[in-house]
Amino acid sequence: MADIEQLVAMLAEDAAKVKPAPHPFVLSLKWMGAATIYLALSLGVSGLRPDLAHALHNPWFIAEIVALGLIFLATSFSAALLAFPDLHQKRALAFSPLWMFALFALLMLLAWHADDPPAPLPAHSFQCTISIMLFSVLPAAWTLYAMRKYASTHYHLAGSIAVLSAFCVGALWLRLHELNDSIVHVLEWHYLPMLGIGLLGLWLGKILLKW
Amino acid sequence: MTESDDNLAALMQQSLNGDAKAYAVLLKETARLLRPFLAKRLSIGNHVDDVLQEVLISIHKARHTYDGNRPYKPWIYAIARYRLQDFLRIHYADQLHQAVDILDLENNLHEDVTESVLSYESISGEIHQLPEKQAAILQLMHQEGYTAKEVAEKLGMNESAVKVAAHRAYKLLRQRLER
Repeated sequence: MADIEQLVAMLAEDAAKVKPAPHPFVLSLKWMGAATIYLALSLGVSGLRPDLAHALHNPWFIAEIVALGLIFLATSFSAALLAFPDLHQKRALAFSPLWMFALFALLMLLAWHADDPPAPLPAHSFQCTISIMLFSVLPAAWTLYAMRKYASTHYHLAGSIAVLSAFCVGALWLRLHELNDSIVHVLEWHYLPMLGIGLLGLWLGKILLKW
Repeated sequence: MTESDDNLAALMQQSLNGDAKAYAVLLKETARLLRPFLAKRLSIGNHVDDVLQEVLISIHKARHTYDGNRPYKPWIYAIARYRLQDFLRIHYADQLHQAVDILDLENNLHEDVTESVLSYESISGEIHQLPEKQAAILQLMHQEGYTAKEVAEKLGMNESAVKVAAHRAYKLLRQRLER
């Protein structure tokens, strides 16, 4: 008990003025703004897919892009909430990406069934996964770096969600850049690797966000 | 927010503005709230004070993540739960580590330290080169499983003579096998 009183006195001596962290919504808006600028600049450099106007007439393509955008929004909000010890007392929102991923999986399943006759597979395969991963490194790095300034008590999940959020930016970039209509290829080399990335994020979260 | 939560949140607001007295009161009140919470969950040893100190230090480190606009108690309990889990994980990992050591020890204790790695069959060639009586004694004892007493009765010797002969046979065998 005497130790506790001594510790309290010591900590109280260190009570300098502290600037409270921004609200997680503000935090996530900053991250999303930066990611949007990064995506726009990258598309400006790499170029949009030449048949984008035509692709935008395909409802499945639009649904895929919108769902991917929603996952990006949900994961950004969630990552910001998970950076706080109490999830800013918005637990349901913090776990909302799970619903978004379920919705996305359902949508991709329907798009796969609708792909009849199947669009021809492109000549390349794993190069897409590598491109998305390389594109995602920067947004993942800045998000994890920003999260380290806070105090996550769910560091595994926080790491995973942050990395998946960055991967979504990469996936969006490739879908808007690559001339490809094969849903099988997209499922196999764009979206299934998300599972591995999520696991990698769990590990990164432990390494980078544990405090 | 409850009244108590309001008071604590107000104290935290003052603390974030650098009010050391308010911060000391807040930390004392927090310790008073958390002690029963930790004591209920820590039945192992007398670690409540240790974990409570860890929690208070963590609250101090993470105080910028509380803005005073939401209830204070869920925030401190989230940190307390996190530190408690951390403590329990480390504690049980140590326990498990020790348990593995004991398991190793038990495995070693089960080993028959007197059993030879050599079987009768593997050195039967060497045994047949021993004097006839010694070879017969070893064959009866180690291949057919007779005791020294039974071998003595079979060969018309006394038990001690069988043991001496077996001992000499082992000595000779050892010398030949070590060459």
